[in-house]
Amino acid sequence: MITEICFEDVLLESAKEVFETMIYMSVEQCPDCITVEGETLLGSITFTGSIEGCMAICCDKDCAKTIACNMLAMEGDDGISQDEIRDAVGEIANMLLGSLKASLLKKNVGNLDVSIPCVVSGRELTSSLGEGSVEIIMPIYIDESVAELILQYRIAK
Amino acid sequence: MAKSLLLVDDSATMRKIILRTLRMAGLDIDSFEEAGDGNEALEKLKDKPVDIILCDINMPGMGGLEMVKEVRKMDSCADTKIVMISTESAEELIEGVLADGANGYVTKPFTPESIQENLSPFMN
Repeated sequence: MITEICFEDVLLESAKEVFETMIYMSVEQCPDCITVEGETLLGSITFTGSIEGCMAICCDKDCAKTIACNMLAMEGDDGISQDEIRDAVGEIANMLLGSLKASLLKKNVGNLDVSIPCVVSGRELTSSLGEGSVEIIMPIYIDESVAELILQYRIAK
Repeated sequence: MAKSLLLVDDSATMRKIILRTLRMAGLDIDSFEEAGDGNEALEKLKDKPVDIILCDINMPGMGGLEMVKEVRKMDSCADTKIVMISTESAEELIEGVLADGANGYVTKPFTPESIQENLSPFMN
């Protein structure tokens, strides 16, 4: 039996676990409806199982660079490459979904098969799962930077 | 006694994080090789077997589950310990890969403590 799930809570707890354990950065939910603007990176990963969908993190380039530098324990951000930043954002998406999956397993959702993460950059990036899907967009503070956690899902046919 | 290690993960960033965490955990590693997937890892192992392999599961090319089976066919790696490091946490999958020949399993996100706990049995 699938117990009632508050996906917002699970999403936030997953982000806290990943950022605080592995990247040494704090995560708090934004009290206001702030959106990420300008040049952004979107790291996403898809999943299939009893539910199917996509999980993503979207942040601006400065935030992505800060996250990557923290992941790599770099003092300054001058030496970091665009490839390293993209790789870091993809790995964040991978770990977020891993943590989310572990929480959902405990709630009897069953195992989910996941894809390899994908990272794109651009302006006003969006992803869509089509009709019948639920979308949660949660703005968060990662230290002082703003990012969005995005979860789109639907019950598999 | 210092050990040789092969780290297999398609993310270069994750390989650096794992290496940093191994140092933070105080584990005695004297030589360190990297591979981006199972195929590259098997090529490296043909030339130079190692004491410990740390391996991701979901990778493009040859993934970790297949790689474990292939390594266990190699006589030169009979004594090699394989520890999986993955975001996958389903019990069935973990039990399956341990049955196929892996010796340990660490879930991401991980801490220096969880890495030390899982690798220290293979450091002596």
